[in-house]
Amino acid sequence: MAYAMDDPSRRRFVNWFLGTSAGAFLLAVLYPVSRYLVPPTAGESSAGTVTLAIKPEDVKPNTGQIFKFGSRPGILVRTAAGELRAFSAVCTHLNCTVQYRPDFGQIWCACHNGHFDLSGKNVEGPPPRPLEPFVVNARGHQIVVSKSA
Amino acid sequence: MTSFLAMAALAVVGLLAVWTGPAGAQSAGADNCATCHLAIGDERLEKPVKDYAHDVHKAKGFGCVACHGGNEKEAGMDAMDPRQGYIGKPGRKQVVQVCARCHSDAAFMKRYNPSLRVDQATEYATSVHGRKLRDADDPKVATCVSCHPAHSIRPPSDPRSSVYPLRVAETCGACHGDAKYMEGRRLPTDQLGKYKESVHGKAMIVKGDLSAPTCNDCHGNHGAAPPGVTWVGNVCGQCHTVMADLFRKSVHARVFVDMGTPGCATCHDNHAIREAGDRMLGLGGDAVCATCHGATDKGGRTAVELRALIDGLAARHRAAGEVLDRAEHAGMEVSQARFDLGGARDSLVKARAAVHAFTVDAVRAETTAGLVVADKAHARGVRALAELAFRRKGLGISLVIILAVIAGLLLKIRQVDRRGPAIEHE
Repeated sequence: MAYAMDDPSRRRFVNWFLGTSAGAFLLAVLYPVSRYLVPPTAGESSAGTVTLAIKPEDVKPNTGQIFKFGSRPGILVRTAAGELRAFSAVCTHLNCTVQYRPDFGQIWCACHNGHFDLSGKNVEGPPPRPLEPFVVNARGHQIVVSKSA
Repeated sequence: MTSFLAMAALAVVGLLAVWTGPAGAQSAGADNCATCHLAIGDERLEKPVKDYAHDVHKAKGFGCVACHGGNEKEAGMDAMDPRQGYIGKPGRKQVVQVCARCHSDAAFMKRYNPSLRVDQATEYATSVHGRKLRDADDPKVATCVSCHPAHSIRPPSDPRSSVYPLRVAETCGACHGDAKYMEGRRLPTDQLGKYKESVHGKAMIVKGDLSAPTCNDCHGNHGAAPPGVTWVGNVCGQCHTVMADLFRKSVHARVFVDMGTPGCATCHDNHAIREAGDRMLGLGGDAVCATCHGATDKGGRTAVELRALIDGLAARHRAAGEVLDRAEHAGMEVSQARFDLGGARDSLVKARAAVHAFTVDAVRAETTAGLVVADKAHARGVRALAELAFRRKGLGISLVIILAVIAGLLLKIRQVDRRGPAIEHE
């Protein structure tokens, strides 16, 4: 065994083999570390589904409330007929947060008096487009809001 | 001479129609107007018939006689008998009466389109076009057929219609953008070009936003007239309600009337309306306040202060957003802070609207609330970045320790290697 290790060509091979393995090991360790340290250019993807901390029975007819959908606001509305609906609460005019107005029975933006009906359609004022609709599901005591497919 | 030949040809074709069989010519549903106009071979007489095939009135079952009178069941020249109500091509004043005969009759129009307005003729009488036609018999002013081309009228909802929102500006511009046609009138002819470059025009033409205003939204359509100096704010206020309300109560509402300047358009222009921005406020290069105010008068000082308030909130909102962006891109969870920062953006938008009250207090009320929200979000972003820095340092230190251990192990292995053969030799 000792004689075998003294063979210069075999020792070179073992050194080369160990050196390459060590290099590959370091690369395998350092690459993920470097990727962790260098921030990605794109932000985190926004949430696709949220479970609200509101019980369906707590949302009275002809009311609405704002909820957090990822990092952006959403609005949950229960119509006078009792149906739950949800939309992005970001006004399509200048990105203000909209609110529900029971006196109008409409979603309303205080910034420039924009009105949206309960289908999210822009019906008055400067908003150029409808609000993005979300899918609402009431599961027992939970309300789950998802982005439309 | 040409018209004489055409009439003669019409008479010949009419006679031929009679000779080929009066029973057929006079049968129910026969349209001798179209038959003769197409048979003569004169393009001027053919065109109305061909165009009318796509007209909304044709689709509803109206024939030539609905507007021109006469009797399409009669063959030849008898179809155009004035005793049967034939009026030929209506004169300019007659056009309005012909259209109004049906379009001003609510009971009649209900049978075709219950929601269609029936006040077009009344509106037209109040328009500059209508008044000039009535009072001066102006041969150039628009009548119904100027905007709704006779024989090829389509409903406004039809994208091919001359009054479809995307095409209204071009329809009005056909006369109002033609310097030669408008010669001798005290009206500019650059409105169409300016509108196309305006924020409204770009929204309509480039973005295809049909809710954006075009000529008739500010001037009226059948009652087209320039908005008066005292009520231009009402026109803009149809959409820009918040700003119009604030402006109406402001000192400028009265001052602009006294000055004889057109309300909103004094600062924002009328046809060449640029996208409003903070640059318009204060006394800087693009500031519209500087048109009347200087650094030494009260209005000028207020303008500068308003700009400073807006700029201050905008800068803090931007700074908070940038800090949150950096934290978010580095993988930190800052969604709640970003959600809350939306409140500062709302305040900034409201503050910009509140500028139309032209008082420091109105704007400060919005910016103060916004600054609180922006500063809180900024602080949370800074904390997230500090946390990130702490984690990175910890990771770095751990890596150094791991590498030191690996190096130590390697040295140890080499040491053992050196000793190994010696032991073997012993």
